[in-house]
Amino acid sequence: MSSLKVYKSIDATSSSCSGPIGELSGAMNDALPSECVEIIVGDPATRDDVRVWAAKTGNRVVVDKEEQGKFRIIVEKVK
Amino acid sequence: MKNVLVAGGGIGGTIVANRIAQKLGEEISRGEVTVSVFDRSEHHYYQPGFLLVSMGVMEPKETSLPEREVLDRRVKLYTGDKGTITKINVGDRQLITADGVIHRYDVLVLATGSHIQMDEVPGFSQGAETFFSLDGARKMLRAVQSFTGGDIVVDVALLPHKCPVAPLEITLMLDDYFRKKGIRDKVNIHYCYPIQGVFGIPNVNKMMLGLFESRGINIHSQFTLASVDAANKKIVSKEGEELRYDMLVAIPPHKGAQVIADSGLGDRRNWVPTDKYTLRLKDHDDVYVMGDTTDIPISKAGSTADYESYTVSHNVAVDIKGDGSKKTYPGSVFCYIATGMDQATYIKFDYNNPPTPPTPSQIHWWGKLAYNKLYWSIHARTLI
Repeated sequence: MSSLKVYKSIDATSSSCSGPIGELSGAMNDALPSECVEIIVGDPATRDDVRVWAAKTGNRVVVDKEEQGKFRIIVEKVK
Repeated sequence: MKNVLVAGGGIGGTIVANRIAQKLGEEISRGEVTVSVFDRSEHHYYQPGFLLVSMGVMEPKETSLPEREVLDRRVKLYTGDKGTITKINVGDRQLITADGVIHRYDVLVLATGSHIQMDEVPGFSQGAETFFSLDGARKMLRAVQSFTGGDIVVDVALLPHKCPVAPLEITLMLDDYFRKKGIRDKVNIHYCYPIQGVFGIPNVNKMMLGLFESRGINIHSQFTLASVDAANKKIVSKEGEELRYDMLVAIPPHKGAQVIADSGLGDRRNWVPTDKYTLRLKDHDDVYVMGDTTDIPISKAGSTADYESYTVSHNVAVDIKGDGSKKTYPGSVFCYIATGMDQATYIKFDYNNPPTPPTPSQIHWWGKLAYNKLYWSIHARTLI
C-alpha cells in the first residue's frame, strides 16, 4: 500500500458533468504507467462501474474499500 | 493599501472582480484597497456563444466586448505585456508580468481558465472543425452551410472539457439543422464519447440516449480517440474502432493555463487543487481558485464561475475587512442544453442534488438565447 504512487485523488461523490468515470478516465490519461489514481465514490453501483471500466481499459484495481459509507478505489495504470 | 489581484479576465475573473469592487467600494474610494485584473487580451470573449456562432444563431461580433467596458470602473485592468502573467509566486504573494513588474497581493484570485489543445491529438488541427474558438466557429459555420451530405462525426477527445453539454448540443443542433434543410436523409451523424453512454450524469445520459435514438444518431462509446487521419478522412480509437468522416467536429482536449504549470501550482493538466467548498487553493488561505481553473470534479462552465463568484467575492471582502463570516460554495451549476435549432432543456444541480432536466421545449430555447443576449448587460456587469 505504501509503495503505491498515487498521481491524483478524485472526490467523485457529488454530481459531475463528466461523471466519475469521465473524471477517472481523464486523470488516468495523464498518469504514467505504474502510477495510480484514487477515486472516492458514493454508491456501490458506481464502484462497480469503476471496476468494469478498469477491466475494460486494461488497468488494475489495487484497492477497493468501503469507508464510512463511501467507496475508495485505487486504480493502477498498467499501460 | 491592500491589493486584491485577479488573474484572468474571462467570465470568472471579470464577474468576481466586479463583485469584489461592489463589496469593497468604500475601501476602494478611501484608497485603502485596489482591485486589479490581469489578462493578455483587451477583449472579453463570451465563449458559450461560439457554439451558436458555429450554427449561425449568433453573430461573431456578439461574442466579445472590450474588457474595459465590462469591468467596474473601480477595477484596474492590465493587458498586453502588463497583463500577461509569467509567474505566480504564492510563497511570496507575488505575480510577475511579462513587462518584468512584480505585483504583490494580499488576496489572489486565480481565474486563468481552460484552453483547447488541438495539437494533443495527431491530425486534429488538420482534419477537424471546432467551435471551441471564435475563428473555429466561423470556419465551422461555412462547413455546415455548404455540407450537402455524408458522414458527420462529433468526437469528444478527453474529459473533462469546457462546456460539458456542448457536444450534446452541437449533435442535436446539426440533426435539426439538416432536417429543416430537408437533407437529413443524406446525412449520417455519429457521436463518439470516451466513456460509456453520451454524458456523465445518469439521468441526463438517459434522456439524451432517448433523444439520440429517436433522431437516428449513431453512438460510438466507449470511443477514446487515438488519432485522426486527415488525408484519408478517418479517425481511430484506442479501442480499435475506425470511422470515416466527411466532416469531423472536434471537442478537443483542454488544459489549464501554462502559467499554472510554470508556477508549479497544478497537476499535469494544469488544473489547480482547490477545496470544493471554500474554493481556496489547497494549503493557502490567501489564494482563491474559480471557474475552469479548479480541479473540482463538477462542470467547467460559465455558470459555475458565476455561482462561485458569489462565494469568492464575499470571502475576499471578509479577508480584506478582517470581519464577518465566510460562505461556502454548494456546487451550484446551471446550463441550458440546446436540443435542436428551436428547442432546449436545462440542467440545474449542486453537490447534493443531481439535475432533473425538463422535457425539451421552445420556451427553454428562448431562455437560452435570452441568457446569451443578457450576458453583457446583466451577468458580466453583475447586476444580479
